[in-house]
Amino acid sequence: MNEIGGAPLFFLEFGDIVIYFTPFTLALFLLALVFSVFVLVSRPERQLEIAFGGDAYYAKEISLSELRFRRFMSIACGLACMGAMVTGDVFDFTLFVSLVGICNVGIVAAVRSRHVQNAAYQYGLVALAGTVPMFAAAGMVAATTGTLSMLELAKGTATVPVAARALLVLGVMGEGMAPFYAAKAEMFRAPGAPYVIMCSLSSLLIFLRVTEVILLI
Amino acid sequence: MIIQKISRILSNFDNILPVFAAACAAMSLFVLITLPLPYSEDQLYPKQIVPGSSLNPYDRGGPPFTQAVIHSQYPENSPTAGYVTAYLTPLSLFLSEHTSYMGTTIVAHPGGILDEILYNTRGLDTVVEPTILFVAFAIAAYLFRKREA
Repeated sequence: MNEIGGAPLFFLEFGDIVIYFTPFTLALFLLALVFSVFVLVSRPERQLEIAFGGDAYYAKEISLSELRFRRFMSIACGLACMGAMVTGDVFDFTLFVSLVGICNVGIVAAVRSRHVQNAAYQYGLVALAGTVPMFAAAGMVAATTGTLSMLELAKGTATVPVAARALLVLGVMGEGMAPFYAAKAEMFRAPGAPYVIMCSLSSLLIFLRVTEVILLI
Repeated sequence: MIIQKISRILSNFDNILPVFAAACAAMSLFVLITLPLPYSEDQLYPKQIVPGSSLNPYDRGGPPFTQAVIHSQYPENSPTAGYVTAYLTPLSLFLSEHTSYMGTTIVAHPGGILDEILYNTRGLDTVVEPTILFVAFAIAAYLFRKREA
């Protein structure tokens, strides 16, 4: 077996979907878990804007309902990340990644800032479009190899076409916005530090994971 | 110089969608070039069209409560797969006995054929799919209610 992330430590079976922990995926899983716990227990930052030329500053208040909603979305994003890190099934991976994309939009959906909302809108459209190549890739893997399990594909008996791999990467790029950090950077202007960092961390994690998936299958 | 130009284009988030659309178009061309792709005959969960069956095309065979043969990836992980593939409620049974044009209706209404592949061998997928839907509903509901606050 092609062990790109180290030897699997243990398996967790859900029927045909086998979740497996290798040292690599376990490290990513723990990172997502630790950050989700941080989000759960921490209080949001309060942005201060200094007024130039005077001795004044503005403090941006975040209402309790907004805080609750964003915390909920961040934790959902963390859970989706954890799932995407350890799942051993190509279709399940695409489902978790699209959940990450939706949660990322949800984290900033509550922000009352026109600029941030515009960026989130553009990002949402790309995340929506990104699902098409991603699920196409999963379908192509199933059609050309007859299986979706990464553990079976890692044995190397069936070859996944390059087109399917390329589509998978493009789809994850749409969901995670890897080279297009501009929209994400604008989203980070939203106040409320631990929650918006979840957007960044989740896309970083799904990129590390998709690299492993591409090398594995 | 060229990197500067590219980063200037990408730094404006209004350009993100056109750039991604262009990437998708280029990728479609690339995929078209690599066609045709081989089709693996050894597929999981195969389903054959049974002519004359009123449950077409969802007939997985097997009388109720006897185990139908389902080709899954790890049969040892789902030992009970195949037991309820042919279970019908009285209404679905009535429909299936009197007309052969209601296959999709029987599957789509509650109490019709259980697509056991979804609930048994690929259960986690079935859980994640509604989760995506619920998260999307939660966002939509929050945005709708935000105006009242």
